[in-house]
Amino acid sequence: MSSSNPSTNYAELQRKYLQELKHLEEEEERLVDNLNNLFNQKTFLEDKVKGVSKLIPTLKVIKHEAQDLVNTINDISDSSEKISGKIRSLDVAKNRVDECQLRVNDLIDLDICSQGVQAAILDSDYEKGAAHVHRFLSMDQSVLTKTATDMDNVSNIMKSVRTLQDASSQLRAIVEHKFNEAVNNEDLTSIERFFKIFPLLGMHEEGIKEFCTYLRTKIASVAEKNLKTAMGIPQSDKRYGVIYADTLVLLFEGLARVIDTHQPLIETYYGPGRLLSAIKVLQKECDVQMKRVYADWAKVRQINKKIQVVNEILRMGSSSSFGKIEKIDPKDLDILIGEITLMHYRTELYIKFVQRKVMADADVGIPNQEDKEKIIKSLENVIKDSDISQCKHELLSHYLRLEQYYMDESIAKAVAMDTLEPSQQTSSMVDDTFFIVRKCIRRSISTGSLDGICAIINNACRALESDYCEVLKGRLRQGYPSGYLDLTQAYNVLQTSIQHGRLQSGDTEQSRTAFITALNNSDSSIEYVDALCDHVMKEIEQALPKMNSRDRGKLESCLSGLSSVTANLKDIIDYGMQQLRNAAVKPRVHPWVDAFLNVSHHFTEEELSAYEAGEPFVQTLIMNLETLLSSFKDILTPSNFDAFTQVLTSEVTQRLEKIVMKSTFNRLGGLVLDKEVRSLAGYITATTSWSVRDKFARLTQIATVLNLEQLNEIYDYWGNHDGALTWRLTPTELKSVMQLRTDFKSDEIKRLKL
Amino acid sequence: MDDYKFLFKVVLVGNAGVGKTCLVRRFTQGLFPPGQGATIGVDFMIKTVEVGNEKVKLQIWDTAGQERFRSITQSYYRSAHALILVYDISCQPTFDCLPDWLREIEEYASSKVLRVLVGNKIDREDREIPTHVGEEFAERHNMYFLETSAKESDNVERLFMQIAEDLMKQARTRDLPRYDSNAQSINGRTSTIGDSSCCSKLQ
Ligand SMILES: Nc1nc2c(ncn2[C@@H]2O[C@H](COP(=O)(O)OP(=O)(O)O)[C@@H](O)[C@H]2O)c(=O)[nH]1
Ligand SMILES: [Mg+2]
Repeated sequence: MSSSNPSTNYAELQRKYLQELKHLEEEEERLVDNLNNLFNQKTFLEDKVKGVSKLIPTLKVIKHEAQDLVNTINDISDSSEKISGKIRSLDVAKNRVDECQLRVNDLIDLDICSQGVQAAILDSDYEKGAAHVHRFLSMDQSVLTKTATDMDNVSNIMKSVRTLQDASSQLRAIVEHKFNEAVNNEDLTSIERFFKIFPLLGMHEEGIKEFCTYLRTKIASVAEKNLKTAMGIPQSDKRYGVIYADTLVLLFEGLARVIDTHQPLIETYYGPGRLLSAIKVLQKECDVQMKRVYADWAKVRQINKKIQVVNEILRMGSSSSFGKIEKIDPKDLDILIGEITLMHYRTELYIKFVQRKVMADADVGIPNQEDKEKIIKSLENVIKDSDISQCKHELLSHYLRLEQYYMDESIAKAVAMDTLEPSQQTSSMVDDTFFIVRKCIRRSISTGSLDGICAIINNACRALESDYCEVLKGRLRQGYPSGYLDLTQAYNVLQTSIQHGRLQSGDTEQSRTAFITALNNSDSSIEYVDALCDHVMKEIEQALPKMNSRDRGKLESCLSGLSSVTANLKDIIDYGMQQLRNAAVKPRVHPWVDAFLNVSHHFTEEELSAYEAGEPFVQTLIMNLETLLSSFKDILTPSNFDAFTQVLTSEVTQRLEKIVMKSTFNRLGGLVLDKEVRSLAGYITATTSWSVRDKFARLTQIATVLNLEQLNEIYDYWGNHDGALTWRLTPTELKSVMQLRTDFKSDEIKRLKL
Repeated sequence: MDDYKFLFKVVLVGNAGVGKTCLVRRFTQGLFPPGQGATIGVDFMIKTVEVGNEKVKLQIWDTAGQERFRSITQSYYRSAHALILVYDISCQPTFDCLPDWLREIEEYASSKVLRVLVGNKIDREDREIPTHVGEEFAERHNMYFLETSAKESDNVERLFMQIAEDLMKQARTRDLPRYDSNAQSINGRTSTIGDSSCCSKLQ
């Protein structure tokens, strides 16, 4: 390669060397520059080196000093260790000194107390004496004896201890005696004085018991006076009917006042957390007085006799009213029932008050959760075993019996006195019955007892479902007389007799009215039950705002009994509608629809236009239906009228279907039928609020089939494509409909693939 | 709303102290309560169980045995689907009272109510009522019979499950002839299994 073109090679080389040379020159130049730079820095660096070497001795000094510092710190740490040890022992020593001081103080006080206590007792200065004993009792007795054995003059100390022990039992006896004396003398100042001394002597429970026993006597005498006043009240007094409730209120209010006024006193001198002890004593008096009021009430109000009569009648069922027992007019029980609910409610309130008070006291005074639960449990038992709880249960039991009787009898009365006001759709028993039920449930709410409310709701469901619904059912069971009259005529008679209040004018009209009214009553009752449910729930929530989820479940379950009353009423209406269908609808509708058979459905074009102008069959049918419907429109409630229209529609469509299947058609006949079905559906749609499409589904489809131009067109409606119908006819039914068209060939129909 | 298909009301009755509350607690909470007081009025518990893949909600009403609560407890008989009458096998008087209880049931409960006789406390050594005596009584009065111990959890689950199964069977067979509009009242929401529709009675 080099030999190929030497001249160019040299030139190339030369150019390279020149370039190299230039490079080197530049390099030299740069190096010279650098050298100059370094040279310039030399003096500066020399100065720096001089400065640094001057620092070296100083560094040595610093190192030494740091070493010293470390040593010093070590020393300090050592000595502080020693000091803290000393402080610890100092602390122990100080504690001992304190303890010693305490013992010395105790000893000094022991001496003072033992000397002072006797003097105080002799001076009748029981506060002072009790204060000494209190001081003595606050000493740690075991320490005291230990001190005694540690010292020389054992006998001295033990003597003082014994003196004080003697003195305290002496004082206890004196205070108890003096307290009783004060009670006997009605000496209020002394009572209060000694009440305050009890806790000083460590007699908390005794003090509370004595004091509350004293309070019991006060309560008792007031209560006795109140009861006597109550018994003396004349029957003419307007409080006579509730005088025992009033007496109970006085008792409970008195007790509440006693508790409210004395609780602060007990808390101040005895400390918090002791209210239950006081309540336990007071509850005994409350029980005694409650029982007395209750017994007296039962006697004066003749409660046992009434309950006996009521039980007897309830057992026989209110229908067999002509027994040998004389019935009590439910109205006469109104006041008594009112009084019982009041008595029950007040008792319940008082119990709640006591519970609230004791809980609040325990919350403040007893921090320990376990102790608190013990208190709660104990409180529960006090209340559960108390006579006032027993009386409360008895009251509720009586209330429930009387209320049940009241409800059953009043409903029976409402049914017996049932009247239909002219131009009313429902009769008086509906309003009256639901007024009674509502009143009874309201009254049960006023007892304040959920169990009571639930029981009355249960009873109401039973009364409505068995007694009340039974009556409605019974009236429908009598049937709706189809009669010989034309219905329009019957309706007119019915209307005029209702308007003139002459319902007795004919058996048939009377039965019809009774039937229609029972049907309307049932419908109206459904609305009443729904409203009752709503209102009752709201009222109970107001009266018992603190229901827990279990209580709520209980209540809701009982209220759901009312919805089964509704279901029952709906069944009754269905039953009535079936009766109407058989008696009033079928006999009319069949001849009207059967008229279809009187007309030929083989039209020529000429006949078609003549027929279409009047649509005689369907227009007559519609006119007849119109008359029938309008005769029921005003006498049935709107929802019953709707149900009636449904019944009528079913009957018409089913019958027409049957009749169509008995006829034959040509193409134009099918066309006419299709139009007539549409007219009919249109008419009924206009009459009611619900959709009639469903009831007309089969008939419309039959008309569609009969209206086919050619057999094959059926595939426009049959199959799995967008235009297809949801068929209500089976393929077999469909084919038998096709057979009605005389122009369709039988074997072609058979060959259709459906 | 929970998705149960059947709801049945079960009411327990019998003398105070025979262990009704304990039976209910054992079944619903799986425990034997120590020293709870006598029941006041009625207590209400719910447990949902499964019978053959179907959820069945049992609403259990535990009643107080004492006379003074009778007017409360009686009001629950009518809507009960099953009544459990309990006595204590170690306490003759509780057995002797059974006829009284039956009379009460006759008077207040639906005639179709499922009735079960239960002898409780079989864990006790001091039995006074032999099993066959209870059995015979139950047979004579057309009741189911079972002996249980709420304490040892003997037969408690079985008692309630048996009731649930039976009531479901009953509901199903009664359900069959009733199709369209009445169908939903059978699923228990409206608690009308005990009382067949008025129409069937009327026709
Ligand atoms: N040994 C035993 N004691 C029971 C049994 N069931 C309940 N008890 C006790 O019987 C007493 C009454 O029970 P309880 O459930 O309150 O009876 P109730 O009044 O029927 O509700 C309680 O002391 C229970 O501990 C049991 O199966 N065996
Ligand atoms: Mg119980």
